[in-house]
Amino acid sequence: MKITRRNFIGSSTATLGTLVLGAPAVLGQAKSRVVVIGGGPGGATAAKYIAKDAKGAIEVTLVEPAKQFVTCFHSNLYVGGLKTLENISFGYDKLASAYGIKLNHQAAASIDRDKKEVKLADGSVLGYDRLVVSPGIDLKYDSVPGWGQEHEEALPHAWKAGPQTEILKKRLDAVPDGGVIVMIAPPNPYRCPPGPYERVSMMAHALKAAGKKTAKIVIIDPKETFSKQGLFQEGWEKHYPGMVEWFSPKIHDGLKSVDPKTNTVVTGFETYKNAALVNVIPAQMAGKIARDAGLANETGFCPIDPASMKSAKDANIYVIGDASIAGDMPKSAFSANSQAKVAALMVRGDLTGAQTFPARYTNTCWSMIETDDTVKVGGRYEAKDGKIAAVETFISKTGETADLRKQTQEENVGWYAGITADVFS
Amino acid sequence: MTKRSASVLSLLILAGPTSTACAGDLAFGQYLSGECVTCHRLDGQDKGIPAIVGWPADQFVAVLQAYKAKDRANPVMQTIAGRMSNEDMAALAAYFESLKPK
Repeated sequence: MKITRRNFIGSSTATLGTLVLGAPAVLGQAKSRVVVIGGGPGGATAAKYIAKDAKGAIEVTLVEPAKQFVTCFHSNLYVGGLKTLENISFGYDKLASAYGIKLNHQAAASIDRDKKEVKLADGSVLGYDRLVVSPGIDLKYDSVPGWGQEHEEALPHAWKAGPQTEILKKRLDAVPDGGVIVMIAPPNPYRCPPGPYERVSMMAHALKAAGKKTAKIVIIDPKETFSKQGLFQEGWEKHYPGMVEWFSPKIHDGLKSVDPKTNTVVTGFETYKNAALVNVIPAQMAGKIARDAGLANETGFCPIDPASMKSAKDANIYVIGDASIAGDMPKSAFSANSQAKVAALMVRGDLTGAQTFPARYTNTCWSMIETDDTVKVGGRYEAKDGKIAAVETFISKTGETADLRKQTQEENVGWYAGITADVFS
Repeated sequence: MTKRSASVLSLLILAGPTSTACAGDLAFGQYLSGECVTCHRLDGQDKGIPAIVGWPADQFVAVLQAYKAKDRANPVMQTIAGRMSNEDMAALAAYFESLKPK
């Protein structure tokens, strides 16, 4: 390379910058190493922001078995026939080519916190200086009487996007006019609080679009209230009259059993025999890798320091996304993306002495009720009184104009393009 | 000004942090921008959500102030701008002004 004055100034400044920023933690070692477990909106965002902003000073490895990630967010739109699977699938190539992230397409088998190592499915080991754990949720297969993992093809959950979502859509498309769909909704806390109800809306949309207006969707809910309840119920009444029935425990008197052989759902109040489709969304907990490593508490989720997303159990580990206990923040892709940026900054602070700033978190969840009728809920959050606390929140209002709802849908589409670009490119 | 002193000066400006109220700190702005780019795309595409890269700083600040005062309607932006200090807004405006649409 010909050394011009500009090059010389640039490179000497870069060296100076490295020396000034170098923290004691990395002395005597070529590069500090970060391993990120999980390539969803939490993990992929964290890997990207650490690698991008560390500018080569940190070696980042992203451990994710899947080569294509299917987003859970907007997977209801696929179920409703408004998006293809391809529309909601993303690869990791750009993270590798643009930021030098090392991709390791295996499952993480275990974490040795003393040795600071992650063991992978093939037995190989990755050492780390900081570990970001973003495994998402696992399902509690024993939380619905009569239903278990062996029944998830017959009675799909589709609460992890991918093959399960395809099964659900196939079953939905095969529901005859007059058929009954039963959804078993999950107890709190779970991934995507408005998700089950957006799914019901999209199922109703697909049925209506196919002319099956006497089909019915029954929701058996373990909760007395749910996210955006007034908005969804107003929308169901307006767009899908007579098609959706929601029952709280006070009404259905408890879910007694599910029989996968006969598609029968028994509640204290009624028995639904030969349902055309039963969508079981069970209770949830942090991904196994986090629980096995002792990062979860008795709730099944992982406590964190709200000012940094650092695990409350291990100072070398950050837990982000659905697996974490994020106080007032809902378990959403937006939340995970927001938490990942805080964690990325703090990881760089730990390893390269990068300047850190007080954590700020944001979330917005859009939910589609019908084509051109979308609502949203969201807020901003800060570390306060030992948790991530909501500082200000907002929610769409019932009775909003069609124009505003349409604009909110356009925003939803814009957000999806924005967040997927932010996470995967 | 010679070419060299111009380079050094620009490096000083980039290196910050500056604490003057009107000249926003780029490093701080870059950190704060993480919140924006979940929705507002850096490639300048604006379908559904406006592009904000390359905006003049004074216009950027004026729009945020309007959201903070709830003179503009979108509740997402009212909430985001609601917690911003003048310094936050200046930093963000400086950062986004410094970007070119890709």
